[in-house]
Amino acid sequence: MNPAHPNSEHPAPGADDPAVVVTRISDTQWHAVDDDRVVGSGDASRRPDGRLFVSVDAWHDAVFDRLAAALSADLPEPLHTVTDEADQDTTAAWQRAGFTTVRRERGYRIPTDPRATGLGPVRPPAGVTIVPAGRAEEGPLRALDRIIHAEVEAGIGWPAMPAQVLPRPARTTVVDPARYAVARQDGDYVGLLRVAPAGRPRIGLLAVRADHQRRGIARALLAHALESMHRDGTAWAWADVAESNPAATALLEGIGARCAGATLELVRH
Amino acid sequence: MTKTADGIEVEGTVTECLRNATFRVELPNGHIVLAHISGKVRKNHIKILPHDRVLVELSPYDLTRGRIRYRYRS
Repeated sequence: MNPAHPNSEHPAPGADDPAVVVTRISDTQWHAVDDDRVVGSGDASRRPDGRLFVSVDAWHDAVFDRLAAALSADLPEPLHTVTDEADQDTTAAWQRAGFTTVRRERGYRIPTDPRATGLGPVRPPAGVTIVPAGRAEEGPLRALDRIIHAEVEAGIGWPAMPAQVLPRPARTTVVDPARYAVARQDGDYVGLLRVAPAGRPRIGLLAVRADHQRRGIARALLAHALESMHRDGTAWAWADVAESNPAATALLEGIGARCAGATLELVRH
Repeated sequence: MTKTADGIEVEGTVTECLRNATFRVELPNGHIVLAHISGKVRKNHIKILPHDRVLVELSPYDLTRGRIRYRYRS
């Protein structure tokens, strides 16, 4: 972010609402003030992968537009934002500010009951065992995480992955090893599944090394994780899947998961 | 209930998720407001469900409408 514009003012470009003054009050925050009252705010934050995400809250479209214009003027492009697909007003407001949709991510509600998922009889393929969350060794887990991230980087790339699993600065997303169940073969970790947080479990990452895919390992990891949740009394889990990932979509819909909404990612270049 | 630079904030409980990305939130005084999710909450991919306890900023223009600024941990 550019700290060169503290307290910069953005006067009204026209006569639509000349009383509102938009001011950058910090490196990451903007306020729209009308007669000493804050009538809207803007916010910017950088994700671990370096992408800059912005948000605006305002009660009126004209104020929203002013704030979006101020953020766009003050910050380096590309700028990213997210909206709920069902919130057409907010999406339209960002489009007025020059943002275009680049990705659609479906939110799935997944039953955990094996009678609903049909995963009860699913077992790992021969030679593969599932190591439950909390029992994975941190060193091999981080090594697997690095391999998977390198494979994604060389393949579809992280921009096509859900926002929650983007790489951290240290090139790893393993921040709490206790949240990972892993698939092990011949002493090596070949697949992982991250669940977070407890209480409202979300499957944040499900991935298998490229040379072990198409063997049913992801399905076995999913069966293990959902069965554990079911035993603990959790009826539903959540997962977000990019629309461009048909394999993940098919896997979830095949076990009875239902799309409960969608998130749009918009970018201004 | 607190008054902030942005308006009046009050805790409430989500009673219903509506189709157009809005939520029915019951306030401690029994009033119901229609609230949408703030940009910051949306940006952080925080999911709002029925029974969630949330902090709502009421619209100064219409006290039956609001914006969910925070979801408390259950």
